[in-house]
Amino acid sequence: MDFDFTSLFAFILFGLTIGVVYGIVALGISLIYSGLDIVHFAHGEIYMFGAFFGLVFSEHMGVPYPLAILSAMVCTGLLGIVIERVFYRRLTRAGGGYTVAGMGMIICGFGMSVVLQNIAYLSWGADAEPFPVDLGEPFQFGDISLPKSYGLTAVIALLLMAVLHFFLKKTKIGLAVRAVAANKDIAFLMGINVPLMISLIFGLACALAAAAGVLIGPMQSVQVEMGYLMLMKAFAAAVVGGFGSLPGAIVGGLLVGIFENLGAAYISPNHKDIYAFLLLILVLMVRPSGLFGVEVRVKA
Amino acid sequence: MTTTTKGITALLAAGLVTGLAATALAGEIRIGVTMRMVSENGQKYGQMVVDEFDMINKAGGINGHTLDVTLLNDECKSDKGVANANKLIFQEKIHLLVGSTCSSVSLPIVDVTAKTKVPQIIPHSTNEKITQKGSAWVFRVPVSGRYYAGVNAKYVGENIGKKIAYLCAADAASQNDCEAMQAQMKSQFGAEAAYVAQVQEKEVDFRTHMQKIKSAGVDGIMIAALAETMARALVQSYEAGIPASVNRIGSSSASNSPVPAIAGDAAKGVFFTAAYAAADDRPIARLFNEMVRQRYGIHAPDHDFSQAYDLVRIVEIALGNADLKLDSANLAADRTAIRDAIANVKGYQGLASGPISFCAEATPQCRDGNRTAVLIAYTKGGKDYVTEVLARVTMPVDFGLK
Amino acid sequence: MNLLLAPFRGLVDFFQALARIHRIVPWLVAYVFLLPLPEILSATGNDYYIYLTNRILIFILLSVGLNIVKGFCGQVTVGHIGLYAIGAVTSSLLAINYGWPFWAAMPAAVVVTGLAGIIIGLPSVRLEGAYLALATLGLGESVRIMIAVTPALGSSTGIMLIPPPQVGSFVFDDFQKYYYLVMTAAMIGIYLSFSILRSATGRAFMAIREDVIAASVHGINVPANKLLAFVISALYAGAAGALFAHMPPGFIHHNNFTIIEMVTLLLMVVMGGIGHIWGGVIGAIIVYIIYDNTLEFYHIQPLTFGLIMVLLVVFMPQGIGGVIDRYLVTKRFVKLREEKSDGAA
Repeated sequence: MDFDFTSLFAFILFGLTIGVVYGIVALGISLIYSGLDIVHFAHGEIYMFGAFFGLVFSEHMGVPYPLAILSAMVCTGLLGIVIERVFYRRLTRAGGGYTVAGMGMIICGFGMSVVLQNIAYLSWGADAEPFPVDLGEPFQFGDISLPKSYGLTAVIALLLMAVLHFFLKKTKIGLAVRAVAANKDIAFLMGINVPLMISLIFGLACALAAAAGVLIGPMQSVQVEMGYLMLMKAFAAAVVGGFGSLPGAIVGGLLVGIFENLGAAYISPNHKDIYAFLLLILVLMVRPSGLFGVEVRVKA
Repeated sequence: MTTTTKGITALLAAGLVTGLAATALAGEIRIGVTMRMVSENGQKYGQMVVDEFDMINKAGGINGHTLDVTLLNDECKSDKGVANANKLIFQEKIHLLVGSTCSSVSLPIVDVTAKTKVPQIIPHSTNEKITQKGSAWVFRVPVSGRYYAGVNAKYVGENIGKKIAYLCAADAASQNDCEAMQAQMKSQFGAEAAYVAQVQEKEVDFRTHMQKIKSAGVDGIMIAALAETMARALVQSYEAGIPASVNRIGSSSASNSPVPAIAGDAAKGVFFTAAYAAADDRPIARLFNEMVRQRYGIHAPDHDFSQAYDLVRIVEIALGNADLKLDSANLAADRTAIRDAIANVKGYQGLASGPISFCAEATPQCRDGNRTAVLIAYTKGGKDYVTEVLARVTMPVDFGLK
Repeated sequence: MNLLLAPFRGLVDFFQALARIHRIVPWLVAYVFLLPLPEILSATGNDYYIYLTNRILIFILLSVGLNIVKGFCGQVTVGHIGLYAIGAVTSSLLAINYGWPFWAAMPAAVVVTGLAGIIIGLPSVRLEGAYLALATLGLGESVRIMIAVTPALGSSTGIMLIPPPQVGSFVFDDFQKYYYLVMTAAMIGIYLSFSILRSATGRAFMAIREDVIAASVHGINVPANKLLAFVISALYAGAAGALFAHMPPGFIHHNNFTIIEMVTLLLMVVMGGIGHIWGGVIGAIIVYIIYDNTLEFYHIQPLTFGLIMVLLVVFMPQGIGGVIDRYLVTKRFVKLREEKSDGAA
């Protein structure tokens, strides 16, 4: 029986196209981790808010699609900054005890995800909304057709990565951000406005998640519950690539996407969502620092 | 007045008020509703049930008694549904339970109502097993999954082909639909499934499944999932390049409006079985469509709405016929009377595709009230979708039972 | 204020006096006092309260177990609901497929869940904080998805007709009878949690929570104790799961074990007081009662619960247990010290 290479190519392609979205969200998660030392469990809902903002701008206000992406990014970034200042700031600043920074932030993240999801539900209802964007005929690779929205997503992802890279490596503010990510106390002593930088980092991460949400809208429709599953996959991506590593996030995303599609294709389609979890757990057990991440030292 | 006198007066007043309240309560028929409220249409037809009961009250109630309706959300979760049922039965002391939408919630509630001897009438659960438990207290208004599968399979086998792929979502109704369809295809045509995959309830990425289905070269794809999941699968089936000549087949949940609304053009040509078609041209259907459009903003109601409406009307008829005492001593007797009154409903023809009849025995033949399935196709997708009726089939009472 | 608290203080003094006879005496006395509760509740004419109590007792078992690993050992685990699911499914399948009576199925389920606890605990040995949270979250969700897609485990139709426990001809099939079962289990669970936490093991847990390096320097075997904490909490979850599964009408479904349920459980522990010895009990009771009384507001109920959780963590991280400690216990302690020093002076 000859091996079906067309299908294999298709599966890998699917994995790459969805993986890039996981990567963008994972980018935000990694950014937050390197800047604030916390894992943000409400990031899936931020992604969902981004998608809804994009929908509102695009469908209800008639804004052209690229502008809608930008506007959604800005709005969601601002939303993120508000959340960070009002709720998370207290937790990340207070010192001592086991209820803070570690556990407190995680629990707060869960609570915030419930809050955000329900605010969205009360604002927009439980229905899934279609997000039609006319980009023309799909690409054709022989037998496989790929809607242009996937291509656009890949392009925008690369663009975002490039912009982020430029921002971090070539601008003064970017330098300040990297300093804060490396060591807050020293950065503070150097005269950097650390709280402002932290808010900026958080806002950036939320803007990235929003971009992912608006990009995925045409492919999957927009619904209040879309955040949870994306969060899991993005976490897997961030862990695989290495927490805190930005290129790692994208690579991790691609790997997760490919892994789950190949698993669904060749092992068992029923367990598709478990593959991402399995990868996550495997990496955490074997090499928690992931591919490019900082070495995770076990204290005792 | 001294403090003591004030205190005694207060107590007397309280006693009087409670006493009055008790007598007021005594004349009410208490109905408990447990449904999945936070969902696509759940809120709207849950609201419709309450509104309709309200209108009965405004028109003078039933035989002079008012209906006291308590509506609870069970989030499609069995433990919450059971808790709701217990709360309604023991705390609110209802005479009749309406519930639930999700099959996985209705299934355990059947045991609760059977044990506590409270009549239960189901607005929208299609899983066959619900009426096969032998409870004398449950009544099903929607069409059971076993009838749907028979009609669907027959149409598919005769018009589409025998090589079918199945995508089944992880909820009780969809799973039942998938299994029943496969069983029917096998027993009617000897056909085995070409591809079967289970997906999560909220699955968003079907492309891998679609690619494999494309390679399998099937005649049709059956997608049994809740509305928005199905819509996504439809869209992605076209994106994967599966031609329109491969028919997309839906389960009864394909009748929900989010399917054509989200799938847009991908919904065209999709057919499914349901208990009501908005394309129904009977005057009563047209009036109903108009009412739902005006009151709840739904472009064309699906059978969730029609079944909820029919349920209210059936309850109204049964309560009108029942001889109710409505005081606390006769709670058990009243519940039994209501049960018997519902069991006596025969040949009710409302919005549903066919007549709804119940009888007294605790068998699925007696408790699956509606045996008529409608085969419906979408001729146009999008938010202002259009449906057409392909066939209307009344199945024999024993169909699909082992 | 003092007048209001006097009966509580009196009760605390009474139980402490009993404890001097033997550690277990106050527990036995409390148990006997709680036995007639269903009768009292029934007298209000509303048997639903007994069902409510049963549900709360199962949640108490769950919360107390979670508090051991989370509050006392400081391990961030958010996959606990997966263990609960394993307990429920194991007990149901043993009873339905192999005809095991509840009295054999439940202990077996507890053991199996304990073993699963080892598996979930293994990552904890090497991971901390957010990494551990992610691993346990992944594991918990994987359990639920496995149940959802495997027909033998119930799949989407759930497992139904799980038989209630019975002893000869006495079947635990109504609220009151089940109460005795669940209440006994919960009592044993709470008593054991007290014993564990007041023992050397408990102190080891707390040492690990406070400062892992200092603990290991003191000779505490950190990996072994972490694992032990996980296993103990898993045993609780397994027991709770089995009790939940066999409770009439005996039906479980994979969406009884979602992230939302996990978040609710987290809320119970946080509200009761993470690391407070009564934290699990207080939290389970308060959260479930609030939940039950606000059912008509299903529209905004989840939002309110989420908001409460966020506000609790930010403004009242020690939970209600912390408030009790601060205002009742500490103030009393200070007052007693003052009295003592006055007397000495």
